[in-house]
Amino acid sequence: MIGTLLRFSLRRERIGLPLWIGGAALLFLVQSTQSQNLYGDPEQLAKLRATLGGNTAVVAMSGPLELLDTIGGEIVFEIFAFIAIVIALMNMFLVGRHTRGDEEAGRAELIRSARVGRREPVYSALALAALADLVVAAVIFAVAAGTGLPVTGSLLVATALFGIGLLFAALTAVAAQVFEHVRGVYGAVGLVIGAAYMLRAAGDAGTTALSWASPIGWGQRTFPYVQDRWWPVLLMLGAAVLATVVALVALDRRDFGAGLVRSRPGSPVASRLLGTPVGLAWRLQRGAVFGWTLGVGMLGAAYGSLGDSIEQYIVDNPEVAEFLPGGASDIVDSYLALTLTMGALLAAAFGVASVLRARSEETAGRAEPILATGVHRDAYLGSHLNVALAGSALVLLAAGFFEGLSYGLTVGDPGQALRMLGVALVYLPAVWAVVSVAVLAIGWWARAAAIAGWAALGYCAVVELFADSFNLPDWSQQLSPFVHLPAAPLETVTAAPLATVGAVVLALVLTGFAGFRRRDLGY
Amino acid sequence: MTAIAISGLTKTFGRTTALDGLDLTVEEGEVHGFLGPNGSGKTTTIRVLLGLLRADAGKVELLGGDPWADAVALHRRLAYVPGDVILWPGVTGGEVIDVLGRLRGGLDRKRRDELLERFDLDPSKKARAYSKGNRQKVALIAALASDAELLLLDEPTSGLDPLMESEFQRCVQQLKRDGRTVLLSSHILAEVEALCDRVSIIRLGRTVESGTLTELRHLTRTSISVETAAPVTGIDGLPGVHDAVLNEHHARFDVDSQGLEPVMKRLAALGVRSITSTPPTLEEMFLRHYGDES
Repeated sequence: MIGTLLRFSLRRERIGLPLWIGGAALLFLVQSTQSQNLYGDPEQLAKLRATLGGNTAVVAMSGPLELLDTIGGEIVFEIFAFIAIVIALMNMFLVGRHTRGDEEAGRAELIRSARVGRREPVYSALALAALADLVVAAVIFAVAAGTGLPVTGSLLVATALFGIGLLFAALTAVAAQVFEHVRGVYGAVGLVIGAAYMLRAAGDAGTTALSWASPIGWGQRTFPYVQDRWWPVLLMLGAAVLATVVALVALDRRDFGAGLVRSRPGSPVASRLLGTPVGLAWRLQRGAVFGWTLGVGMLGAAYGSLGDSIEQYIVDNPEVAEFLPGGASDIVDSYLALTLTMGALLAAAFGVASVLRARSEETAGRAEPILATGVHRDAYLGSHLNVALAGSALVLLAAGFFEGLSYGLTVGDPGQALRMLGVALVYLPAVWAVVSVAVLAIGWWARAAAIAGWAALGYCAVVELFADSFNLPDWSQQLSPFVHLPAAPLETVTAAPLATVGAVVLALVLTGFAGFRRRDLGY
Repeated sequence: MTAIAISGLTKTFGRTTALDGLDLTVEEGEVHGFLGPNGSGKTTTIRVLLGLLRADAGKVELLGGDPWADAVALHRRLAYVPGDVILWPGVTGGEVIDVLGRLRGGLDRKRRDELLERFDLDPSKKARAYSKGNRQKVALIAALASDAELLLLDEPTSGLDPLMESEFQRCVQQLKRDGRTVLLSSHILAEVEALCDRVSIIRLGRTVESGTLTELRHLTRTSISVETAAPVTGIDGLPGVHDAVLNEHHARFDVDSQGLEPVMKRLAALGVRSITSTPPTLEEMFLRHYGDES
């Protein structure tokens, strides 16, 4: 039976899965060739080690400095955490969709009514994830060894990523027993992925013990190509087995369709707020707004708490400051700008997910009863857009405020909170620009709306986070709205670029609405 | 006054033709049955009437307006029950009823509560906990609690139990007394027979029959079962007689409306001892339309 289920799952994933695997492999391929070009000879690598030695920002973004001893390690240093996140997300979506997702949608009931045991869908989902992880590991090993890196280290990188994938698959299986909705599952696992990245950031930049609380940290601390330490992989496998057992025990103790967290009865009448389209959109999305604001706010606080150690390093090593344009004050500002960009990308991710709700409600058939009432199409799309714009602004401001607050507290200047709140606003036009691409697509290429929205975000993320390390040519970055905005607080803020990006946002949104007004709905 | 006037409506999706010159007229104050097999275009027609889909060709008039251009204004005057009721999992049934009512421009709270009682629905449950029938009730109550002059009901009783089904029929009869217009798309022919003044039958996106039930019956056959004094002869040769089973003094056959007169003359000559004649049920009409051609 599991074989049949697994084959069926593979068929359902035949389009998405190759993209995830290809994406992860591509990240490694580009990083490997690029790094070997730049730091191929030991002298350049030593120079890099010297510059990065005290750059807490880069360490927090990437990994532990011990990796910088060899060129292979340098590649792992730069890209491992990001590939780990991609693989963790892939496992989260795979397992979530095939367990709680199917159960929530009622598809699992059909399957379970056949000769399929209670545990079999979980086994099948985990087998699917393990298979995907195995393929990712094989492809990454091939890419690593193929680009001339040592075989043992390449095998270790691949194995560590395999272990991380397996662990997050098992953790998702646990969350799938706890929450009644697949949305809740993604929220919880997404939070764990974010925490894993942040813990290792804090650990690598400060207290090493924190890295050991993170699966991504375990992976990096196998030190591939440097020490080739295998035993942290056992931690991952052990944790994965443990999580699987927890998931199965929880599964055996719950009813089909129920979670461990029970949903309570609600209000028999609608509150006053619910009487408008915006009120309904807010009601549907408020959980996500709070979750994202909290999560990204915490991320900002974590980034902010590291700001001081960067400053301290410059104070301790004044000779390094001489090499930096603008001296000591600039390195903190460039760190703040870089981390705020991360926050802005996450705010844009929320905005895209949020505005795409207008489309998913439509395809699910839930927009139809609304649009059969006295609600204009503009008001319907506008309701979700309003939540997307306000929500993404809130997420962005939370990133800025909490980063400023925690940085301010460490340097004894609480005023930083308000300053960073203002600085964060500079990124708002770019965040909204990403959202407006999704709006345009909802109006004109409805079926491709989700792809267009996420592709726009992915493009901006690649340009912002990897443009330098991938050596992307200048022209290829020009479509990203972030490129055209000042990197506050490092660069001076002028009104013109903000207004230009704002005008583009307005134009895209209006065009999107025009398309939405004239197309068939529900298809 | 005409509530719905559609002529020559065409709608294609890519290479599929969903509607192929459909005609439909619904007069104000009537309950109009809208019949057709799955995939014949009933839901597509209703979506065009709601302004969700744009007509490729043909004329569509709804309550004297253009459903595409005046969608919002028209929607204030109509209520809609979708065939497949999909609700927001985390929102309660009571909330959904209120939201839909308010978005339409207000609902009668007393009637809402009365309907909740009549349909025996718990409004504090979240939609994910409702069965298909209960989701259907949510949409029905939202529509019935409105004071809309036109109700578009797309298979509104699928999933309802017989008790609720008869409750629904009472509601529609009340609507009829109030002079409201109902377009009732349905598969349950007994329901259509019980409720509808007029019926349109569509097939492959085209209207094949339209009229009152009496008119439609004229187009079809009556079943006759008869016992005669003299042995039955000469019936099966008459025009319009089908499926005749003759057995000494007993005969069973179907006859077209136009063939009734000669048949009755012949039977009278044979000496009728007992006779039952059954008008065709809608079901038979339906099966005849679709069964013959498959």
